[in-house]
Amino acid sequence: METLTIENQQKITIPVTGMTCAACASSVENVLNKQEGVLECAVNFANETAQITFNSAQTSPEALKKSVQAVGYDLILDTANAQVKQAELKTAHVQSLKNNVVWASILTAPVVVIGMFFMEMPYANWIMLTLTTPVLALFGKSFFINAWKQARHGQSNMDTLVALSTGIAYLFSLFNTIYPEFWHSRGLHPHVYFEAAAVVIVFIMLGKLLEEKAKANTSSAIKKLMGLQPHTVWIIENGEEKEVELAQVRIGDRIIVKPGDKIAVDGKVLSGTSFVDESMLSGEPIPVEKTKGAKVFAGTVNQQGSFRFIAEKIGGETLLAGIIQMVQNAQGSKAPIQKLTDKIAGIFVPIVIGIAILTFLAWFILGGQNALSQGLLAAVTVLVIACPCALGLATPTAIMVGVGKGAENGILIKDAESLELAHRVNAIILDKTGTITEGKPTLTDSFWVENHETQKSILLAIESQSAHPLAEAVVNHLKMEGVKTRLVQQFENVTGRGVKATVDGENYYVGSPVWMTERQLSLSESPIEKWQLEAKTVIVFANETKVIAAFGITDPIKETSAKAIEELQNQGIEVYMLTGDNAHTAQLVAKQVGINHFKAQVLPSDKAAFVEELQRTGKVVAMVGDGINDSHALAMADVSIAMGRGSDIAMDVAKMTLISGDLHKIAQAIRLSKWTVAAIHQNLFWAFIYNLIGIPLAAGVLYPLNGFLLNPMIAGAAMALSSVSVVGNSLRLKLKQL
Amino acid sequence: METLQFKTNINCGGCVAKVTPFLNQLENVEAWKVDTNNPEKILTVSGEDLTCELIQTAIQKAGFEAAEV
Repeated sequence: METLTIENQQKITIPVTGMTCAACASSVENVLNKQEGVLECAVNFANETAQITFNSAQTSPEALKKSVQAVGYDLILDTANAQVKQAELKTAHVQSLKNNVVWASILTAPVVVIGMFFMEMPYANWIMLTLTTPVLALFGKSFFINAWKQARHGQSNMDTLVALSTGIAYLFSLFNTIYPEFWHSRGLHPHVYFEAAAVVIVFIMLGKLLEEKAKANTSSAIKKLMGLQPHTVWIIENGEEKEVELAQVRIGDRIIVKPGDKIAVDGKVLSGTSFVDESMLSGEPIPVEKTKGAKVFAGTVNQQGSFRFIAEKIGGETLLAGIIQMVQNAQGSKAPIQKLTDKIAGIFVPIVIGIAILTFLAWFILGGQNALSQGLLAAVTVLVIACPCALGLATPTAIMVGVGKGAENGILIKDAESLELAHRVNAIILDKTGTITEGKPTLTDSFWVENHETQKSILLAIESQSAHPLAEAVVNHLKMEGVKTRLVQQFENVTGRGVKATVDGENYYVGSPVWMTERQLSLSESPIEKWQLEAKTVIVFANETKVIAAFGITDPIKETSAKAIEELQNQGIEVYMLTGDNAHTAQLVAKQVGINHFKAQVLPSDKAAFVEELQRTGKVVAMVGDGINDSHALAMADVSIAMGRGSDIAMDVAKMTLISGDLHKIAQAIRLSKWTVAAIHQNLFWAFIYNLIGIPLAAGVLYPLNGFLLNPMIAGAAMALSSVSVVGNSLRLKLKQL
Repeated sequence: METLQFKTNINCGGCVAKVTPFLNQLENVEAWKVDTNNPEKILTVSGEDLTCELIQTAIQKAGFEAAEV
């Protein structure tokens, strides 16, 4: 989409879909020309685009899209592309930051060496000036720009502090380099602080780079969500099968879904039957049977059958598009937490300026001879020394170590913010399927009327042929027992009931207990009723006359779940469970793992709404989930945690991922967060303490006693010491046992 | 399964596209096709329990005409 703006007048080129002949093109053109606010419109049938000039005060591309849709065509407004572009911009930003750090470091290194050890070499000041100027004016210019923006609103943050002290250090040093006689004539020795200015810029940029690296790219989740829809679709057009682009599918098209296909748009099944994996909507791993009249949804995955359906909702109207939109909104709407360093700087900056003014006044009043120049010198030194260069390292080094420590323990942390927030979590929402439970149907109970190896191998043979989603659980179980398969002569699917097969001339049936009762077989001996009470799905294996075996299939709870939940509750954290599953199963699972608050049959948007509800009561909410249906809630939560075995999209949206899926890791992550935040606080202390001591020295409090004024050597030492303390303190985190 | 045929004024691919959503909506219709090469523009519809009125109403809704052959 190209855009050209002249005040309110906009000229855009938008792809048009659904045009089949030149008559269509003129019809689209007519409709658009009739719209209020459209000044000019030309539709090109050959490349399927419309060039529209319109007044953006009177109409919008969205309104135009609606009018075109009303006559059966569509305009493609490329919002997805904007997302990708945004991501590219971000990558470019990190890249330029990296370049700035590298070049600034290369220039700063000699400045430091000269400033520390070769002050007396000829032209030292001029060389340092030459090297420092680009560091400030070119690579570090963003600090000055940001500081200016803040200042215009009467605010100050870390950038203000950096800009103020490095700017003054530079200008002061520049003056002293060009015109040292000014001070010499007054009997004072002017110092230059080029190395201080350059090092502060480099260190703080380095800190920003580390932080950017610890942050993740959120747009990949959106890209993957969009990838759930197929690019092309088979439709029936005028009696013939035809492959078309997804964008060309219109409401009312008949779409053919083949085995393994992803479903392209929302619609209603016309003919055929199959099982469809709808885990992206419900979180439930067992595919759902679809027959005539059933609704199907974009992004869900067809299993082994094939069917035809009629498109009812397309483009931005599908449930999938709704989820994408919601995830985008949730990701975009969260206000970033104000950085602790910015908060401190906000208080620190006015104080430092106050001290500098006070220093100047004190010297001016009490200084006697040379009062003005001495006062100026001291005030400037106060401002120069104020900025701790380790300030930029305090947060990122602790977070880098924390993130590394997490990774060692199977906790992947993408975002520094969530590591800072996790220790404040006081409500945790757990998804049921795949988070508390294994997320995979497993055969947990079996009952054989008589234990016979031949019958086991017959069952394995039949179930290996079945397309039913639960058959896999039976097959896995029998294969683990080492059962050998055999040949099936005849095989037949009985829709909604089970399967019928012939092996060695005898008929066998595998299916639901209801079917067996219909066939007048007695189930009284087996523990089927007990299993059904436990919310297990029961499968019965029988021949013509009697039941041979019965099996209970369920999604078992992870061994560690109950204990991990108890641990969290002991820490005073409220634990909630949300599931798309039915109330009966939800209740059983909640009881087994000791959760009192749970909600069953929740839709993806309900989960997010619940997160919001808890947040509104002032809670810091962590959401733990594994599915696409959890992604909206994950994006919404203060701290989001995905399961390593879950869907890629949940992992992309979530800021933390537990590789093993063991819920014990949640408590560990919270502990890690506590330690990291503590380390950040300690680091800030170390960063500031040397400078806090330096400020009164710079102001000249010791001058009346022993004539002591701060010299650059001491300033340099304070800088080095605070950096070493900060890095050392962060590394200490590495030695702790999580 | 029964088959009905109509003479129509569904003249070109664009017209076919216009009637498509209307005919596709009819659940009784299994398959349909317009032979635009035939001067009579014959629409052939097959499916269960079909009536002429059902098809004709759908075609009229789309803004075209259909007469039974």
